[in-house]
This record gives sequence, C-alpha cells and structure tokens, in this order.
Amino acid sequence: MTTNKQTTDQDGFDFMINAGREEQDRDMIGILLATAITVVITACQYLGLL
Amino acid sequence: MNKNSIFSTLYSLKAALPGLLAMFFIAIFSNNLVGVPNPFTLQNLFVWLDGVIGPLNHQSFFQIMNSNFVWNPLLLGLIIGNLFGVPNAWKRGLSYIHLMMPLGIIMLAPHFMIGHAAKLGFMPILICVAAMFITATVTLCTGRLLKLDDRQTSIIAGGLSTGDPHAGVILMPLIKAKGGQVVGASACVILFGVIAMLILPLVGPLVGIPDKYFGLAAVTTVGNGAQSLFAAFGQSYEAGRYATWFDVGRHVIMPAGFIYVFVVMFIRKLKNKGNTNVHATGDIKTFPIWLLVFIFFWALACLHLFRQPAAHAIFNMVQWDFSMAAAALGLSLPLREIAHDGIKCFAVTCIVGCIRMVLLLAALLICVKTGLLPA
Repeated sequence: MTTNKQTTDQDGFDFMINAGREEQDRDMIGILLATAITVVITACQYLGLL
Repeated sequence: MNKNSIFSTLYSLKAALPGLLAMFFIAIFSNNLVGVPNPFTLQNLFVWLDGVIGPLNHQSFFQIMNSNFVWNPLLLGLIIGNLFGVPNAWKRGLSYIHLMMPLGIIMLAPHFMIGHAAKLGFMPILICVAAMFITATVTLCTGRLLKLDDRQTSIIAGGLSTGDPHAGVILMPLIKAKGGQVVGASACVILFGVIAMLILPLVGPLVGIPDKYFGLAAVTTVGNGAQSLFAAFGQSYEAGRYATWFDVGRHVIMPAGFIYVFVVMFIRKLKNKGNTNVHATGDIKTFPIWLLVFIFFWALACLHLFRQPAAHAIFNMVQWDFSMAAAALGLSLPLREIAHDGIKCFAVTCIVGCIRMVLLLAALLICVKTGLLPA
C-alpha cells in the first residue's frame, strides 16, 4: 500500500484517519455546531431579526 | 484539556491554524462566499469564460461541467496540492474536514422542502422517486457484478440516482470512501452526464414523447441540473422550460437517495461480517447519530419550519463549510488515487446510465400512451 505524502508525516502517521473515539467526538462537535447555527439563524427569523 | 471532553481529540487551534488558513484562502479564492467581497475567484473566472464561450442550449459550459461551491475549491486544492505539495504544518488542520462534513450535511437539510414538488402532480413525482431508487439499486447490483470496489459503487449510486455529484461527497463519511474514490466516481457521473445530454436529444424524437414529458425524461435520465436542461433545450424550447419545472421533483428528494444507498450498504456490511470484499460503511457499528439529526432537520424542513430568508442564510453557511472541506479534500488527494480503477468505474456508470435511460423512456412512453401522463 502506498503512503499518501500529502496527509502523512515523516513517521508515516496519517492525519486524515478518522476512526474510533476521534470520529465520535468530531461527529458530536459537528452535530452541536450545526444545531447551534441552524437554531440561531431560524430563531433570528422568528424574532424578526432577519 | 480534559480527556473526557469532546474537544480533546481535536488538534489545538495553534497546531491546526496553518491548515485551516489554507482551507480558508482556497475557499475564498474559489467561490463568492457571503461576507467576502473578493472579486478574484475561480467562480468569477468561470463566469467570465462562460461569457466568452457563450450559452450552450441556454446553459453555461462550466455549469454543465458541475462548477459549484464544492468542485471549485476541490479543483484549486488539487492543483495546489499536486503541484506544490502540502507542508507538514497544514496537515493537522486539514483533518478538520472530518468535523466539517457532518456539520455541513446537517445544515443542508433545510434546503430540501418536499412541498415544493407538490405542484408537479402525483405521476411525475412518482416517476422521479422510482427513477432514483431503481437507479441506485441497479448501480449497486452492476458494481457488484463487475467487481468494482463497493465504496466506489456506492458513490456512483448516490451521484447517478440523485442526479447530483454532490451526493457522492455527502456519502463520503457514511460509506467511508477514500477521497480519490469519491472524486473519481463523481467525475465519472459528470462525464456520463455530458454524454447523456448529447444522446438524449437524438433519441427523444425517435421515441416520440411529447416535449412536456421529454423535459421530465431529461431531468431523470441525464445528470446535474445544467446537463438536464441542455438536453431538454436541445430537443425544443418548450421541453427546456418543462425541464426547469420538473427539476424541482428531482431536487427535493435527493436526501432519500443517499440515505437509501447508505442503509443498503450498511445492512449488507452487517450481513457479511468478516467478508474481506465488503468495505463500504467501514467500521460503522450503529446508525450514525448525525445522520439521524439530518433526517430530523429534513422532517422539520418538510413541515416548512425553516422559512426564507433563514433557510437561505443556513445554506450560505453550508457553502462556507463545504468550500473549506472541499479545499481540504483537494489538498489531500494525489491524482493517482483519483484515477485508480477509473475505467471500470466509468464502465459501471455508463452501463447503469444507459439502462436507466432506456427504462425511463419506455416508462414515460407507456404512461403517455395510457393517459397516466396527460399530454
């Protein structure tokens, strides 16, 4: 298997791997941010701020 | 930072900043993003070139080639990454793509309001829905027959069935497809769309479908919006206007297409534990929570909870998010990964695309002849 030099360091660690605990945490932050942005923008409209 | 915090697995802002800045600058030089008055964007360059080329069947060339807020930064990222390489300092920041994908996909939900398609009537909606599920199913079967990697097959299924190569990018975190597989498969879908938009106006008159329903045929058998309209306007002006009318039917049901592909591949993976040929959905063990959140927001959108201009403002945020994520994807992809299994991938796309075209033209002809679709 060839190494992707655009995502790995000199030791061969791939920064783009997304699995396990890291994946769960990134997903959760994504969910929280998306919910926050969507709710804030929608609330702004209902409150007459948009 | 506390190891139990959900932020503990993220790289610190200091470590990630160079990569995030690279994504940011690629994004703002690719697209006209809200809040950035930068005229020197790839999007504006394409618009200018479209003016030089002139309209093609009332469509612009770069729209036909799927230029948009995902593909422009992807292209720029690919060029920079492959010509100049990616400095080590950027690599931590680029990994934020994994955070930005679910974030952007969830915020995309208010974009799809099913009620917008109600004006089309029952039969055209039924045809759009059937075309989507049949295309996805036939693609998954054909990919399996031709022994194409199931991740690449899934991306083709998502792109072809929804008519939007974006769906491939949306499927990326669900299918656990490699970046090269996503871009390669999406490129095949775009390329097939170009072929289909040239073939359909030649085949149409032979079949004898009225212009009104040729518009529906173009929307369901060709590819992205501009390609479909190119095909329809190639038949006649009236067919083109009807394609614009029917296109909403294809558009609002898109989420069902990629959710269907994921669910089928997820069940297949669970039934084939230990099978080394099954890669799609990777190590996903349960239905992803963020996809449930997306479905929840989509349901709210269908209930018209998100009104304009809020829905439009949320979509502007999606454009920011996807632009930066696509920049990271482009930067992280060597060209050889995109070309991997390219011929087989294109063959699957063309076979399924042609089967779909024949099936839908036949179905539309039967519907017109039997009066199910009033002329």
